[in-house]
Formats: sequence, C-alpha cells, structure tokens
Amino acid sequence: MSTFRKLNVSRVKDVDVVIFKDSKILDEELLDELRTELSAVVGNRPAPDVLLDFSNVEFMSSAMLGLLGVVHRKMKKADGRLKMCSIRPEIFTVFKLTNLDKLFSIYGDAGDAMKAFE
Amino acid sequence: MNAVDIVVAEDSRIQARMLEKVLVDAGHSVRLAEHGGKALELVRERRPDVIISDIEMPEMDGYSFCKAVKSDPELRTVPLILLSTLSDPVDIIRGLDAGADNYVTKPYDPGYLLARMGDLLATPIETDTAGEATLDVTLAGQTFQVKAGRQQVLNLLVSTFENAVTKNKELVVVNRDLSLARDELQRSNQELTALNERISRINKQMTRDLEAAARVQQSLLPDEEVTVPQVDLAWRYVPCQSLAGDFLNVFQLDAEHLGLYVVDVSGHGVPSSLMAVTVGRFLSPKVSDSSLLVRPDGNGGIKLATPSEVAFQLNGLFQADEFSGLYFTMLYGVLHVPSGRLRYVSAGHTPLAQVAADGTATLHEMSGFPVGFVPEVEFDEESLTLSPGDRIYLYSDGVPEAMNAEREQFGDEAMKAVLSQGRRDGLDGTVASLLSAVETWCVPNGPLDDVSILGLEWGGGN
Repeated sequence: MSTFRKLNVSRVKDVDVVIFKDSKILDEELLDELRTELSAVVGNRPAPDVLLDFSNVEFMSSAMLGLLGVVHRKMKKADGRLKMCSIRPEIFTVFKLTNLDKLFSIYGDAGDAMKAFE
Repeated sequence: MNAVDIVVAEDSRIQARMLEKVLVDAGHSVRLAEHGGKALELVRERRPDVIISDIEMPEMDGYSFCKAVKSDPELRTVPLILLSTLSDPVDIIRGLDAGADNYVTKPYDPGYLLARMGDLLATPIETDTAGEATLDVTLAGQTFQVKAGRQQVLNLLVSTFENAVTKNKELVVVNRDLSLARDELQRSNQELTALNERISRINKQMTRDLEAAARVQQSLLPDEEVTVPQVDLAWRYVPCQSLAGDFLNVFQLDAEHLGLYVVDVSGHGVPSSLMAVTVGRFLSPKVSDSSLLVRPDGNGGIKLATPSEVAFQLNGLFQADEFSGLYFTMLYGVLHVPSGRLRYVSAGHTPLAQVAADGTATLHEMSGFPVGFVPEVEFDEESLTLSPGDRIYLYSDGVPEAMNAEREQFGDEAMKAVLSQGRRDGLDGTVASLLSAVETWCVPNGPLDDVSILGLEWGGGN
C-alpha cells in the first residue's frame, strides 16, 4: 500500500485501518491534505472496509466533520463499511453537538470496531 | 631560444616543482635550490645561463643571494630574474640595489616568464662597471643607496613597466566584468521593484475585494428597522476574521409571522463566507420563486414554507461532497406573533435557549443532522408556545465552545447563567452581556470562532 504523509494505513483482516498521525486537526492546509489522502484510501478498491482510528487526535475543528461526511458518502456509494474508534471525550462532543454521533458508527477502541466488521 | 642551464632558488617545494616543469617542458635543464645559500653553491659549482630566484626564503633571501651573485666577477653577467609579488614600490628599489636584471610578478604566466628569459639572454649584460654610479633614492621616508648600471636600470624599468601593463590589462578585464555585473544587478533591482509594486497592487486589490465581500455578507444581517409590535429583538454578530461562516437574520414573513435563523458554515474565511452568502440568498424573506421561505402561491397570495421544509430543501441543494466538505448547521424558527407559537427546526445546530421571566433557562436539544451530510433526510420540527415575557436565543457554537487560554470551553452552564441574570436587564443589554462574557473568557487571544447571538422577547398576544 502506498505511503501517506498524514495517515498510517495498514490492512488488518481485510480492513484498511487508518490512523491519523496529527494530534491537532485544525488548519485548512491539513484538511486539504487529509481530503486527498482519505479519498485515495477509500477509492482504493470496491466495497472497502475502513476503520478511522482517532487515538492520536487531541484537537479537531468542526470543519473536519464535513470531510468525514464526504468520506461517509463515498463509502456508502462504494458499498463499503466505515467505522471510527478511539475518539476522546472532548472530540466526541463535536460529534454529539451536531448529532453526527448517530450518523457514524463509532466504537470505543480498535478491538471493538474490528469485531464489528466480522 | 636554445636550451639553457637554469638555477632556480625557491623554498616552496610545490612552486619549485611547477616552475621546473615549465622550464623542462620548454627544453631547458634545471637545478633546484631551496634557499639562496644553496643556490650560491650551485652557481659557483657551475656557471648557469640564467638564475631565477624567489625573494622570501630562509637562510639567505633573494636580495642577498642576488647581491652575492652580482658582486662575484665570475657570475655578474648571468641574468637574474626575481620572482616578486611587487606589493610595495620599495621592492623595486631593493631589487635594483641588489642588482636584479628583471622582475616577474607572482603568480606568473609560464609563457611570460619564458619570454622575459629570452629577452635577457638576447641582451648580453655589460661587463664593465664604468657606467655605474651610486645614486641616493628616497622612497617612503627611507633613503637607499643604489649602485646600478644603465643596462640593468633599463631592463628593470622595462620589466616593471611590462608588469604594470599586464596587471592593467587584467584590471581592465576585471573592471569590465564588474561593470557587467553592476548592470545585471541594476536590471534585477528594477525587476524586483516592479514585482514589489505588482504584489502591493494585488494586495490592495485583494483587500478591496475582501472589504467588498464583507459588505455583501453584512447585507445578510437584519435590517436595523425591523420593528414588530409585542416583540423585542436584539443581536450581535462578531466574525473572527474579516469574512465569516456565520450569519443571522430576523424578518417579517407576513402580517403575523416572524422568521429568524442563525446559520454556521464550517470553517472560516473566503470559502465559508461564499457559501454563507449563497445560502443567505435562498433564505431571503422577499417573496420570490427562488426564496425557500416565502413563495407566491399562484393565486395572488403567498405561501410560507414550514421550518422542516426549509431544512429539507437546503439539504437537497448543499450536499457537502459537492462543496469540498463544507457544510452548515442552522436553527430556523417561525414565530406566530399573535399566539406566541414558535415552530423551529435544527440542522445539527446548538440548542435553542429559552429563558422565562423568572429567569429559568432551558436548552432545547434536537436530533437533526447538519445540512449537507445525508441526502434526502427528513428534519423533525419542534414547536413551543411562549409565555408573555419569555425570551429565546439562537446562537452559534462560537458561544458555548469559546475557549480560554487553558483550552477550556465557556460552556452551556455559564451561558445559561448569563442569560438568567440578564432578566434584570433589557434584552439588548443581555445579548451584549453574553457577548462580553464570551470575549472576557477568551482573553488574551480573543474568540477563534465567529460569534452570533440573536435574542427575541415576546411581550404577549394582542
């Protein structure tokens, strides 16, 4: 799998596990890079299974939600499954305020999320 | 020039070898000495045809060696060339005094050195000393007694002059290069100045454009003269940059209905504000086919869209993947002024705050997604009936999520407290207090997000 600047991507049991490298996802420049790299991961194969792991992320702007929404749409169109995990409480608030915690499949940690793919 | 025998006095081994190679390549035989004393032994051992000597050397320097050669009757007619840097005019006098026949300045061109040698060999040195006179020469405050023959003086003069001419030619070339470089520098400078002027022009243009865009965005805000009987209105709007993703409005939809909203487009700056302006056009209270709020009903009357219809329509128009991930949250309400009945919809927006006359504050949370996330999704509509004196507040997340220097959020509770205490003041005073509480919270950095607050107090039915 190709290498990314802002993501660690590995294939575990046919799931593309994507770990965000940055602890702060705030500025537009980073969002642009993430948009390009996430599109590459998602558009990688038909019916992809993708897990987005937020364990390194300490701060995240609400603009990142829009990008996750775009990824969500793409995955749906490609008949893929998208799950997210290890979201800190401070960041989970951002999801909760906009009710997006109900739209995305969010799990406590990578183990729980991987089980849900089985 | 025929092959000749040459003694070279030079203390630097490398320079000695280089000079030896030049001379040997030209067909001559060379004997090397590392200082004047050794060279004197060599020339006395066998008389050479030419002597070439460095000046700075240990044991016996070039001047002493030269003097020794020229005072030896057996050797005095052997032409002697001094290798000098000629950094000081006194060097010439010293060389003349020592009896040197020629100067070649270091670094030398091999061809030039060979030519000087040829010249010297072609002009045999006078053997008599009759033409010699002792002259006093004063240079740089020092008097030298110089004893030299005419021939030698002439030779030395010519070699010095030739040296000067050569150096002058080199200087002319350097000068020309310098002048070319200077012209080049001038041209580059002119280009740089022109570029700077262009950047400054573009910068001014961009500033003007941003100011114009900010004015367009200001046009989305409420008209100052919105006055409705029984209803008090107040609002504050503070973008964190010159252009904002937030905007708010309150307006009359018809004789009995008031519409109000706060919209928060994700991100800041130009892309977010362009989207805000576009969304604002659809949320126009002017009756038209393009307004999502009030349309002609086809029978000469007008038709008000319900808040959930408005959210549904906007969601169809602004899907985030077509706007490079930009989305927005919105709280839109329609108040029936005579009855105090408020119908509203929230698209992922911060909760509506209701504050009763006794100060009880309630946040009404709703479950709608932001506009742009899920195509074809329906938005639930809520309604509540206001009691006389009730206040409601619509606001952007820049209020509860405002962060202080320790990255702690202002929070819902602090907001509710300010709004409750505000019951002692007028509505406008309360909205102003909330804004200043947020700004105080964010000292010293100031809010990092746009802050919008829209308040309404219902005075009761007619």
